[in-house]
Amino acid sequence: MIYFTELQDLPIYDVKGEFVGVLKDLAVDPSQNALRVASYLVRTPRKNMLCITHEQMQSISVRAGQTTVPEDSIRCYAPDESLLHIKKDVLDQQIIDVNHRKVVRVNDVDFDIRPTDGHTELSILDVNVGMGAAIRRLLQGIVAKHVIRQIAGLVAPRTIPWGFVNLIESDPGRRVKLRISFDRLAELHPADIAEILEELSRDEQKAVIESLDDETAAQALSEIPTKMQADLLESMPSEKAADVLEEMPPDEAADVLQELPPETSAGLLADMETEEAKEVRDLLGFEKHTAGALMTTDFIVVGETATVEGAIVGLKYFEGPLESVHVIYLINSDLVLTGAVSLARILLAEANTPLLQLVIDPLIFIDSNADDKAVVNQFHKYNLVALPVVDEKHRLLGVVTADDVLELVVQKK
Amino acid sequence: MEKKRFQRFRTQLLVFLAVVGPGIITANVDNDAGGIYTYSMAGAAYGYSLLWTLIPITVALIVVQEMVARMGVITGKGLADLIREEYGFRITFILMVMLLVADLGNTISEFAGLASGMGVLGVTRFIAVPMGAVFVWALVVEGTYRLVERVFLVACLFYIAYPLSCFLAHPDWTETLLSTVKPTFHFQSGYLYMIIGLVGTTIAPWMQFYLQSAVVEKGVKPRDYKYSRWDVIVGCIVTDLVALFIIVACAATLYASGQRDIKDASEAALALRPLAGRAASYLFAFGLVNASVFSACILPLATAYYVCEGLGFESGINKRLREAPAFYSLFTGLIVLGALAVMLLSEEKQVPITLLSQVVNGILLPFVLIFMLRLINRKDLMGEYRNNRTFNIIAWTTCVVILVLTLVYGVSTFFPTELPFK
Repeated sequence: MIYFTELQDLPIYDVKGEFVGVLKDLAVDPSQNALRVASYLVRTPRKNMLCITHEQMQSISVRAGQTTVPEDSIRCYAPDESLLHIKKDVLDQQIIDVNHRKVVRVNDVDFDIRPTDGHTELSILDVNVGMGAAIRRLLQGIVAKHVIRQIAGLVAPRTIPWGFVNLIESDPGRRVKLRISFDRLAELHPADIAEILEELSRDEQKAVIESLDDETAAQALSEIPTKMQADLLESMPSEKAADVLEEMPPDEAADVLQELPPETSAGLLADMETEEAKEVRDLLGFEKHTAGALMTTDFIVVGETATVEGAIVGLKYFEGPLESVHVIYLINSDLVLTGAVSLARILLAEANTPLLQLVIDPLIFIDSNADDKAVVNQFHKYNLVALPVVDEKHRLLGVVTADDVLELVVQKK
Repeated sequence: MEKKRFQRFRTQLLVFLAVVGPGIITANVDNDAGGIYTYSMAGAAYGYSLLWTLIPITVALIVVQEMVARMGVITGKGLADLIREEYGFRITFILMVMLLVADLGNTISEFAGLASGMGVLGVTRFIAVPMGAVFVWALVVEGTYRLVERVFLVACLFYIAYPLSCFLAHPDWTETLLSTVKPTFHFQSGYLYMIIGLVGTTIAPWMQFYLQSAVVEKGVKPRDYKYSRWDVIVGCIVTDLVALFIIVACAATLYASGQRDIKDASEAALALRPLAGRAASYLFAFGLVNASVFSACILPLATAYYVCEGLGFESGINKRLREAPAFYSLFTGLIVLGALAVMLLSEEKQVPITLLSQVVNGILLPFVLIFMLRLINRKDLMGEYRNNRTFNIIAWTTCVVILVLTLVYGVSTFFPTELPFK
């Protein structure tokens, strides 16, 4: 194994033993091989930059490197955006450690050296984020390399295997060229992605959100502070923002839209699918800090004459989030809320039992104009997981779920 | 129509209030114990004759702070982050170690200011300093971000103590006004050193790091940058107004009665008593205590923040001790060392530490300013928000002048016999 710090400023000689220059950077070509160092950038004493390809590198060690060709057959370096440069793009930059779900800064990059038919190949093993690497960076070029190895070896290394490293590139075009995928990141829990997002700068957040699929992006966004959500959505292309908004729970979407300037949120609503936009628009009609503004319109409702079987059909076709399935609501022909049945009781009852026999007694609900505090009190008093919200004629409008109340309480603290 | 205009004004006001804070707070921390001492000394030794320097100093401060705030808004990253990404680990590390040394010295002088200010109010430093340290630590660690920011903004209001104290000293307002706008210059080494001291105390390296991080923390959008700029400008002007009142208060009393050599800021407070009355004296001391506690809060916090930021440790008061051990050790360590130094070391023994920190500050400032100017001209970082040619000329000139002055100041601290006020 060899560290990038040890390779930096390494003297390079050509096949005849003539000094070519010093190694300045390594480049990987992700379109061919995501791990192998494809070219070595060398600065000559005349300050020219040369690019030695991996086939031209005979041998490389902590002492020196030697090419298989004479100096005049090495080509000049032309900047290439599709190459990943270790020093320029990785070293000292922030990356996402997908395994530990954290944002860290790279202190060093570790390589594997392997002789391959007639030349030597380097391939990336991991990035180093520990104290040992920091010591190496500090002493590099001042103290002999083997001494540095001994000193840095005293500290337990902290490395992240390259497979768990997610680079953050804010230029979308370059992201494609470098084949940076966010698949592994997308597998994390949305709450963890949200925590990572909060550590990043605005452009980096944008890069991450834009690379996630709409659903994951929406879930992760729902977990970060509303103000940050608004900033991010505003900086995204309007269509992508609208797609993400559609996937968000309507109450969250309404909250963000309220945070945005009126013209922007009107534009986004226009870009959203009609059905989703309508739900959000209805929610926007409610005064801030009321049950109406807090509730979601994603809930399961069936006619009051339905049986357990009917409720199960309702459940099957329900597309909303998991936190909304705990309670099923009954309404009459005037849309008035007449009962609520918990999922647990439905599971235990016979298929032909009328739901009216299973309702929670007494029925607890709240007026859409009631304030946040009243909502919290109801949850606390009756140990609720969900609270239906009605208008002045007792028609069911939406449901406040426990997660939103918890957020409210935590925010207040 | 009228209503619409009012609504627009109201929205703008709301946005401004949401953005405001970093600039004003940073600028006020600048008037810390060391600053108050320098201003008192300037007033006591040279009367009104140094007031004119405040206008160019304010302009220089605005030029520098505006750039930092702009970088914070546009890049969304702290200055330490940007330096690390651009100049690598070693330079960042050296910079951070130097900042740590300089800020430890500054923290000690804040606690010394607290001790001497409370001394005037009749409280011994063996009670004042530990209580101050515990208050500062608990406020930052236990308080929420909103609470902390509010406490800080209230502390900013308490700087009113200086204008009040100044009014009680009955200065000559005509002369104050004239001296502020009309530059006078004396080719006298002491006078020159005093000017350099004023610049050095006003434009410090740590402020740039703190301001940029605070702006980033606020999450100001590029669209709202104009409000941030006002935050910075208002902050800088308020700071130097406070400085003006301190200088004038001392000029009207100490200078006028011939007490031209004072050893610390509390001495100025004490000297005010027979000349301007007990109230003026207490107000002056209260101002000193407020400024010291305020800065003793922000300095260690800011230092812990950007050292961790630059070196890649986890940081933030919303993290727990186990998650961010380096951050909490730095923050707590600075406060504890600062407080202990003031309680255990005699004043003579504190002098070399303060001197060292001033020298380190002087060495650091050129690097920080040059890094800043290079970063803010980078197209890939700043895009259309980078400096234009005119602003670059102003900025480079300002920085060169500051650099030359600080270098002279740094050298002069090694030859204290040259100073007339020792």
